[in-house]
Amino acid sequence: MTRREAILSKVAEVVAIPSFAPKAAVLLNDPDSDLVQLARIIEYDPGLTANLLKIVNASFFSGRNPLLTARDAIDRLGSAQMLRFVVSTGVAPTFVCKVEGYDLAPNMHLQHSVTVALAARELGAVLGLDAPDHVFTAGLLSGVGKILLGAYVEVDVRPILDLVDRGMAFDRAEDEVLGVNHAEVGALLLEKWKLPQPLVNVVRHHLRPEEAPEPDLVLDLVHIGNVLAKMIGVGLGLDGLNYEPSREAAQRLKLTPEILDEVSANVVVDLRAVWDLFLECAGEASPL
Amino acid sequence: MGLLVVSISDMKFSRRREDVIVTYSLGSCIGVTAYDPGTRMGGLVHCLLPTAFNSRHRAEDKPFMFVNTGVARMVRALVEHGADRDRLIFKAAGGANMRGDSLFNTGLRNHEALCKLMEVNRVSLSGEDVGGTIPRTMFLHLDTGRVVVRSLGKEKEL
Repeated sequence: MTRREAILSKVAEVVAIPSFAPKAAVLLNDPDSDLVQLARIIEYDPGLTANLLKIVNASFFSGRNPLLTARDAIDRLGSAQMLRFVVSTGVAPTFVCKVEGYDLAPNMHLQHSVTVALAARELGAVLGLDAPDHVFTAGLLSGVGKILLGAYVEVDVRPILDLVDRGMAFDRAEDEVLGVNHAEVGALLLEKWKLPQPLVNVVRHHLRPEEAPEPDLVLDLVHIGNVLAKMIGVGLGLDGLNYEPSREAAQRLKLTPEILDEVSANVVVDLRAVWDLFLECAGEASPL
Repeated sequence: MGLLVVSISDMKFSRRREDVIVTYSLGSCIGVTAYDPGTRMGGLVHCLLPTAFNSRHRAEDKPFMFVNTGVARMVRALVEHGADRDRLIFKAAGGANMRGDSLFNTGLRNHEALCKLMEVNRVSLSGEDVGGTIPRTMFLHLDTGRVVVRSLGKEKEL
């Protein structure tokens, strides 16, 4: 069995992505917690969002119009009791202490995922684009493959970093060493879970949008959102800034350094509003 | 030891010898320390961007977000609290860029803005660890003025 096959067979067994928000367990067990509290914590947690979309699309609202965002899923469930029932019974959250291999504390991965989501959404707003609502969810989920590789495969990152030191981008080094990169791993799981294809496509191609079968606005926004999150520096792991920005995506969006500067400034301000969520996650706070 | 944490677009200073000022999350952002060995007073600013983009309002609202206003404000705060401007020792870390990025170069632009500011004010950096593609954490020890940069588990003193 190749390394790739071994990793994919392990990932195929995953029934729920771990959450980084212990507060969710408290709220899920509290009959008095309200929908707003629960919804907010689920909307900003990649694991809980993916798990919720999986269950809701498979069990409740399957059909021609799958739900693409946690907000839509929550709105359709309608009540805190229903949301608690779905999340607790279908995807009982487990929590990870550290994303092994990538040297990421849970709060760091959470902060990074939220920053990608906020940056992708903010970029669309600054550019005056009428971007679909799922740009936030797609950004939030874009890095789930890293959680999977860290939590279930426990990747040894040293040979990957050796290639990075010799000038290779991190995802291409993952391909070389593991036979698969974390973007593809995330997409394969979400595809297996039958999450809507627009989300799966973004997760799969978010590091190299030029390899997507056709241009996709949400994909371009999430790709640049990921670049911005890394430049801002929130929640960086061993992979650091070792990814290549796509010239094609930048040209399609007509980006300039001034536009990116404006988006970065807005995102840093936006992050303050969700700071309390980050503080609730993990024992230690990794300050912004 | 008191640990003072500097967020993105933030600055902290102290004259307590037992304090250490730290900033995490330096990607393309640039961290700048200024230390007066006479009073043992020092500060650390974490700047996101080189200059305020056509927005005087934003520079006034968040002066530490930008290199040109943030470093100047830090120096002013130190001098107002008793530091000697001519004794200040400046060091910098951060300013990383995405791999192969020839489009945005935020880290490079931050470093250039800092060098220009230093030149205009006829001061120089006594140490720096900038550029590349690595994240950095920067510490300023108030007892000695020692500046340490940690990245990927390794530490170096500037």
